[in-house]
Amino acid sequence: MKLSDKDFEALRDFIYSICGIYFHANKKYFLESRVERRMAEVKAATPAEYLTVLKSPMAKTGELKKFLDEVTTNETCFFRNPAQLAAVEKKILPELIEAKGKIGFRKLKIWSAGSSSGEEAYTMAMILLEKCAPTMKDWSIEIVGTDINETVLAQAREGIYSPYSVRNTPEFYRKKYFTPEEGGRFALSPAVKKLVNFTNLNLYEDTKMIFMKSFDLIFCANVLIYFDIAAKSKIIQHFYNNLQPYGYFFVGQSESLHGVNDKFKTVYFPGAFAYKK
Amino acid sequence: MEKLSRHEKAQHLIKGITNLPTIPEITTRVAALLDNPDVELEEVADMILTDQVMASRVIKIVNSPLFKPMHEINSLKRALIYLGFRRIREIALTCSIIKAFEGKKGAFDIRVFWQHSFGVGIVSKIIAQRVRYPEIEKAYICGIVHDIGEVFLSNYLENEFQKIIDLISGTSHCFVDAEALMLGTTHCELGLCLAQKWNFPQEYCDVIEHHHAPENATLDPMLVAIVNLADLFCSVRQLDYGGREWVSFNLAEEKSWEILQSFSPNLSGLDVERFCFELDERVPEILDLVESIFEGLH
Repeated sequence: MKLSDKDFEALRDFIYSICGIYFHANKKYFLESRVERRMAEVKAATPAEYLTVLKSPMAKTGELKKFLDEVTTNETCFFRNPAQLAAVEKKILPELIEAKGKIGFRKLKIWSAGSSSGEEAYTMAMILLEKCAPTMKDWSIEIVGTDINETVLAQAREGIYSPYSVRNTPEFYRKKYFTPEEGGRFALSPAVKKLVNFTNLNLYEDTKMIFMKSFDLIFCANVLIYFDIAAKSKIIQHFYNNLQPYGYFFVGQSESLHGVNDKFKTVYFPGAFAYKK
Repeated sequence: MEKLSRHEKAQHLIKGITNLPTIPEITTRVAALLDNPDVELEEVADMILTDQVMASRVIKIVNSPLFKPMHEINSLKRALIYLGFRRIREIALTCSIIKAFEGKKGAFDIRVFWQHSFGVGIVSKIIAQRVRYPEIEKAYICGIVHDIGEVFLSNYLENEFQKIIDLISGTSHCFVDAEALMLGTTHCELGLCLAQKWNFPQEYCDVIEHHHAPENATLDPMLVAIVNLADLFCSVRQLDYGGREWVSFNLAEEKSWEILQSFSPNLSGLDVERFCFELDERVPEILDLVESIFEGLH
């Protein structure tokens, strides 16, 4: 099924207003196949009719969730967002090391919120090992991955990954930090694993969120999709409170916090942006 | 004091170049024709047609995303009718600048330069519309010409410029800082000298000189702020110099953002994230435009 430009734009704007994820025009084919599947399911004759279904009050607990599940394939992988990583490597880490080094506070805290099976947190660990090892010799480094799902946390702690998870990993890193296992899987090096701790955390739970203090970098990519605006705004406020004054907060590559929090300032890097206090 | 010496240094560098690019005579003749209030469209068309390259570029630009005609325009005369006299002058000037820098090998590919320049032109136009700046075409042209100092460096001081590219490559430094360090002047002052030599309008000169420091603009701070912001956004959204410089900025700390908000208070509610996502979608269009302008010429 082909979506007309008008239907595509209407769906894109709807998705953006609901969960802050922007579908670029080059993702139209992707949206077309997903919408077609859902339209058949709910027996909607046209995309416009389907959109009406999505917008109906009843959809909130049913079709809307199914639709968002379809369009936001939440698969993660190592080195998922090269532009964000370049910003971290080129700008943010040197800036943090300088600022904290000056005041003699040699501690770096990174949080991967909604870490799933750990790829994002471990990617940061590898980057730190490679890029900052000489300058950060006497630093204490703490990387935390949190998720609400125990199954993915167990996978993260185990540290064995499918070829699909490592598909974007630069060859240098793959050779240095992964060992091929039987069955085509890859085992992450213990040197990387020991840098990251994984714990169970519900982002909506205030009593636990207030203890996630003083982070220099927070990542929370494509996690807030299912929260409504009030919940999202509460969670973002926690991230804001828990971020150091010189720290940065990243969401997903096509994700936006517009309208959710007006305290964060937007900082732009080539191909990426982050939020700052 | 430093300012003065940068200017002097720029003047000195420009003086040292004997084969400096010139703006083709046809541009001045078209401009003179357009100054005459009784001019006939036929006359302007005939004048432009004496330069086939210019004529075909005018048609390509008319059909570009900037002007978006409903149907493709194939004749120069129809292009002129569609554009109106005021825009013709600006487009003729754009075509001339492209021509002035053509056919000379430089430290970077001239297409990459024009991709950035047209990008800044088109984004300046988009920002000008959002902030309700009254002269949208002027913002577009100023966006296109803001970095002419850079192409001068690339084409006429190739070795020195290559050293600057090497210096900033892989770092988070920008051209303007590296130029000041290595040359004692920057593309802003060099661009200004060229623009004055070519008798560009004062507002254009102001943009060229101050596009990295819009707070210093005197003539039209809003225009300079528009181009500055467009330049920043292009630099982080694939319309940079092929990744040769690495730019980052905190929007809330940018002087241009402050200036534009003072003129257009509703700007503070702009969805800047979405603005960026939308810019990404315009990139292929801009690259196509530049490709089409250069098509068949090399």
